[in-house]
Amino acid sequence: MRGPGLRIPDEADLRTTLRTPAVAARVGVWLGLCFGIAFLTGLYSHALQDPPGWFTPLTRPVWIYRLSQGLHYLTGVACVPLLLVKLYAVYPRFFVRPPWHDRRAMLLHALERGSIGILVAAAVFQVASGLANSSQWYPWLVFSFRSTHYAVAWVAIGALLLHIAVKLPVIRDAFATPVDDGEEESSGLTRRGLLRTTYVASGLAVLSVAGGSVPWLREVSVFENHYVPGGGVPINKTARVAGVTASATEPGYVLTVVFGDREEKLTLADLAELPQVTERLPIACVEGWSASGDWTGVQLRDLRFLVGAPAGSTVLATSLQEDGPYRTSELAGNVADDPLTLVALGLDGETLSLDHGFPCRLIAPGRPGVLQTKWLSRLEAI
Amino acid sequence: MTWARVALGGAGVGLVVWGAWLALSLGLGGLVEAGAWLTGGVLVHDFVIAPSAILVWYVVARRLPVWARAPFVAAALVLATITLTVLPTLGRFGAKPDDPYLLNRAYLAWWFALAAVLFLVAAGWALYARRSAACRSGSNTCSG
Repeated sequence: MRGPGLRIPDEADLRTTLRTPAVAARVGVWLGLCFGIAFLTGLYSHALQDPPGWFTPLTRPVWIYRLSQGLHYLTGVACVPLLLVKLYAVYPRFFVRPPWHDRRAMLLHALERGSIGILVAAAVFQVASGLANSSQWYPWLVFSFRSTHYAVAWVAIGALLLHIAVKLPVIRDAFATPVDDGEEESSGLTRRGLLRTTYVASGLAVLSVAGGSVPWLREVSVFENHYVPGGGVPINKTARVAGVTASATEPGYVLTVVFGDREEKLTLADLAELPQVTERLPIACVEGWSASGDWTGVQLRDLRFLVGAPAGSTVLATSLQEDGPYRTSELAGNVADDPLTLVALGLDGETLSLDHGFPCRLIAPGRPGVLQTKWLSRLEAI
Repeated sequence: MTWARVALGGAGVGLVVWGAWLALSLGLGGLVEAGAWLTGGVLVHDFVIAPSAILVWYVVARRLPVWARAPFVAAALVLATITLTVLPTLGRFGAKPDDPYLLNRAYLAWWFALAAVLFLVAAGWALYARRSAACRSGSNTCSG
């Protein structure tokens, strides 16, 4: 039996002095900005991992990927409070009764609701799946995170542009008047109070995780996912998980360098006899964390010259891993030629540890961590 | 509608279609699962998160003295949104036994510390609001 007070609420039931375009538009601008930055930095990261033919990776400044992926992660984090408050502000719209008796109005209503549905679904998905990925949690079973996050990013940004186009007059009106215009007395937060609280929440959320990419915030970022006590470079995949413990510690280990039919097999002692350089380079993970280290090793271009490969050759690096999506990685000609691109044998003055990629690994400027191939077994110039 | 709005909206529709086209590479199984996650996110917001916020207002905030409501709502909003942001971290769902550097901090303890700080700040704000209200009404509990 339904009591007289029990019914599906309609828009007017949920309207409050806070749930207004004045609030939605202001939060929306910050949200749109964060989504825009996350979209562009996401495209850049995707292009590095799956480069289109016209794409040349940037190698300077050496921290370019650290910056772009740090921004990607932190703007995504900032989006959570902004998105929740934005949805709070427009929630009554969810209960607008469809204009059933007017076909044209009904069609427009359905289109508007459909586009908003796509926007909300894509926005929530991007933020939720990105946060899960940053903590290496993959609760989905079938789809690949990267392909799906990439495809839905286009949907989200497209639906956002459409939303801005549709709502432009509302946004303009909202900014034409002070935020508290027409605000009724309320016993809770004022509109200004709600906006300030939202910005504080976003700022604190960013601060609580930013230490992963901003080292001096490490001790205050209490919800950081990767934490190395005392600093240092975190490890994403251990030798045991990669299944390389035996092959990497095999005394007969050689690194094979190939160009066409020329091939050189270099033992660890051979590599150590080549000219060594030490460079301070960051390693920046797609999951948002980054850390700098002093890497010592051989310039990749020196190895390429050993087999007579010309400057500008693309180099394919292969790991001792027997499978996994990042078993191999490709270095564009400009990256392979870069004097800072090393086959590293040591980190921070010590021999590379097994989990950091012993016997040797790639480290190059401006490259995602997953492409800094560990436990190198073969380098082929193409 | 100006041409600029039409162009912006048209570009938006084009990008949505491009994203949907890219999603086809996920295969049927991937598409079905991604569709479930996309829909699930909206449902969780509309039927769990948003009603919970309303419930907290009616059950807790509305029953507080007027001077304590805004501070309580602000602290609850900050705590709730940060909690949702770091939920995968708090739950340590991605932890791996052989990765000592992943998800290795005392996150729950820090969460309680954050909650304590937020509600302490809120309490300070509430007491200040009460005193200001008392001063405005000329009550003798206002000593300043």
